[in-house]
Amino acid sequence: MRYALSDIAPIKRILRSRWLQWSLMSATLLFFVLAIIAGLFGTPAGNRNFGIVFVWIVWWGLLILLLVPFAGRLWCTMCPIPAPGEWIQRRSLVQPRPGSRLYTLGLKWPRKLRNIWLQNFGFLAVALFSIVILTTPAITAFVLLGFVLVAIVTSLLFERRTFCRYLCPVGGFIGLYSQAAPVEIRVKDQAVCAGHREKTCYTGNEEGYGCPWMLFPGSLTANTYCGMCTECLKTCPHDNVALFVRPPTAELWQRADRRVDEAFKGLIMLACAFIYSAVLIGPWGFLKQTAAAVGPPGWFAYAAAFLALNLAVLPGLFWLAVRIGGRLSGRGREQGGNRPRKLFADYAAVLVPLGLAAWAAFSLSFVLVNLSYAWSVPSDPLGWGWDLLGSASLKWTPYLTGLVPYLQIPVMLAGLGVALALALSTARRHGQTAWGAIPVAVFCTGATIGLLALYLV
Amino acid sequence: MTVVLVALVLFPATLFGYQAVRTRAAGVRVIDVVARVPELGGFSPDRLQLRAGETVRLRLSSPDVVHGLTIPGLGVDVGEIYPGKVVEVDITPQKAGRYAFACTRWCGADHWRMRGVIEVAPADGAPGDGDETQPEAQEPLFQRLGLDIDAPRHAARDLPAEKPSAARGASLGAPLPAELADPGRRRALSPVEGFQLLRNSPETGRLDDQTLWDTVAWAWLRDATPQDRTRAVSLYARDCAACHGPDGKGDGPAGVDLPGMQKMRPEMPAGPADLTDPAHMLAASDALLQGKILRGGMGTGMPEFGSLYTDEEFWAMVAYVRSFLLND
Repeated sequence: MRYALSDIAPIKRILRSRWLQWSLMSATLLFFVLAIIAGLFGTPAGNRNFGIVFVWIVWWGLLILLLVPFAGRLWCTMCPIPAPGEWIQRRSLVQPRPGSRLYTLGLKWPRKLRNIWLQNFGFLAVALFSIVILTTPAITAFVLLGFVLVAIVTSLLFERRTFCRYLCPVGGFIGLYSQAAPVEIRVKDQAVCAGHREKTCYTGNEEGYGCPWMLFPGSLTANTYCGMCTECLKTCPHDNVALFVRPPTAELWQRADRRVDEAFKGLIMLACAFIYSAVLIGPWGFLKQTAAAVGPPGWFAYAAAFLALNLAVLPGLFWLAVRIGGRLSGRGREQGGNRPRKLFADYAAVLVPLGLAAWAAFSLSFVLVNLSYAWSVPSDPLGWGWDLLGSASLKWTPYLTGLVPYLQIPVMLAGLGVALALALSTARRHGQTAWGAIPVAVFCTGATIGLLALYLV
Repeated sequence: MTVVLVALVLFPATLFGYQAVRTRAAGVRVIDVVARVPELGGFSPDRLQLRAGETVRLRLSSPDVVHGLTIPGLGVDVGEIYPGKVVEVDITPQKAGRYAFACTRWCGADHWRMRGVIEVAPADGAPGDGDETQPEAQEPLFQRLGLDIDAPRHAARDLPAEKPSAARGASLGAPLPAELADPGRRRALSPVEGFQLLRNSPETGRLDDQTLWDTVAWAWLRDATPQDRTRAVSLYARDCAACHGPDGKGDGPAGVDLPGMQKMRPEMPAGPADLTDPAHMLAASDALLQGKILRGGMGTGMPEFGSLYTDEEFWAMVAYVRSFLLND
């Protein structure tokens, strides 16, 4: 049950316009540049610095509460990080230059690294230092600068959007959670693709570039790696690629090619939701102090616990749940598609709604509390005493603080409900009885209760 | 590509250009001073260079905890600098010299060391062309007397039976020997020495011990005005109470882990001095107490206040400390 939104004429015109992505990226690039300048030269007080307020409160809130749940990887459509590298690589801002040589070595990404492990570790690295990054404008600026420099270098060395596909720490979880979104870019009829020899959606033509994400749209079944750049809508001569709206979480029930690296992404996101909730908004001041003071022995203990929870404890518990489920369902021997790794990866689908709900619930609290800074900071983005828009003196006002728990609870429960249903569906798909899903269901329920306890403490 | 480069260059240039225009229009030089907990750098910058007669606007902000700022030499005290807010103060030092500034709100274990200095150069022109310079500070009394303020003191043995009263001493109106009547000479003596002086004086030698102690209290406290008292109460609360306790007992929370005199003299107890201990305090001269406050603790954990207090404030503080043992 899906509807091709891009068949609506005005929408098709916009999606097929080459100016769409350039104008979106240029706008976000200006914000990006301002965030970096504010971080490097502006006030170190985060609440008065454009970099902190508009990256970690406004952008993050928009991303996790609106863009990802409702529009999948729409942020990737407009992300400024790959923009300079891509423009240099293509030697063009908007129009393709058919026949002209791209400014890149065009190397292929090593086969062994064609997964999201580097994105997982990149995210862990950022998350480990996040207390410092999120509260120090200068460090935020360096991190953003670092991302864009790596993206530029990657564009000069490797083909297409290698950075976005294999390196971007943000893209890892956006891709994961976009599986729950009610939009997708897919082909209308795979038979048309089968009969099209040139496969210009992948190779490109005078209308546009081949898929920068190195995907073949004709066989796309998941949002995970599609950056919604709309090049394929432009380059398909048969109007066979469309932007569809679909029921939320639709692809979670269908996907049969899940991988262990994706499972770990889901576990890492869940673990980080726990850690962030405890450290950033929990009542234990010593935790926040320890996490913020990089260098003393206490921080190394925190780092060890952080990495252990992300890479050992939670994955270990989940693995145990999957294995116990296998035993409980009576499938004592590994059969057919029930290899432990496959079961582990497939059951990890539950982590998508669970983790997305956890991050949405976590983000609701600090976004609502701090959102009012978004009105004053544009007037004085560097904290230099300006008042460009007359709003610099607007006072900080936390919004809906009394309501936040009542918003977090239904969000978490909705995530849990979908996760439990997914667990049952996965058990059925693997020929297990319902007992096979019980331990994973217990895992999900325990995680939900744990997070709610943190939010309601 | 040219468009993008121009935009990426023009945009930052516009931001900085606007700031330059704003600053010029303000007519004063603006200096952003960021106050962080001392462990992360304290004041930044912590050294400012001005010219005598120049007005400078300090924009103070904190990205972490509540701080404060005082520039005693310029009569500036901005109160709290709350995290995320900006406090602005204009200063116009008229005289060349060095002016210390310090944090005035407890911001961490090393709060007492959160200091900076403003170096004011003479106004344009050679010295003597009408500009003024801060007078050279006089050598502190304890140095002029050659006092070793760290040397062990014999505990006083002649102690008052009850807390002496300056009011009672004043009402008695006993003639004070020159050594006690002249503040300059009295400050070189300890109250116990003052007591002995009165005991040995023909005019007062026959008075009972308590009466003599009341006279000592009067001699030691009579020079302090009510304004001195008010100022000292405020300074003590701001700078001393955290370690020495609100009542001077040495039981302040910030002093819990400080070594105190034990670092220099292992036989001494650890922690801040008990200012209510008569055996030691009545054996200490005002000059010695001034020296302790001025110089700080040499590893005891007590910071120096020599760069922050005026002479009047030192003696007001000493008189206030005396009041823990001597009633007004």
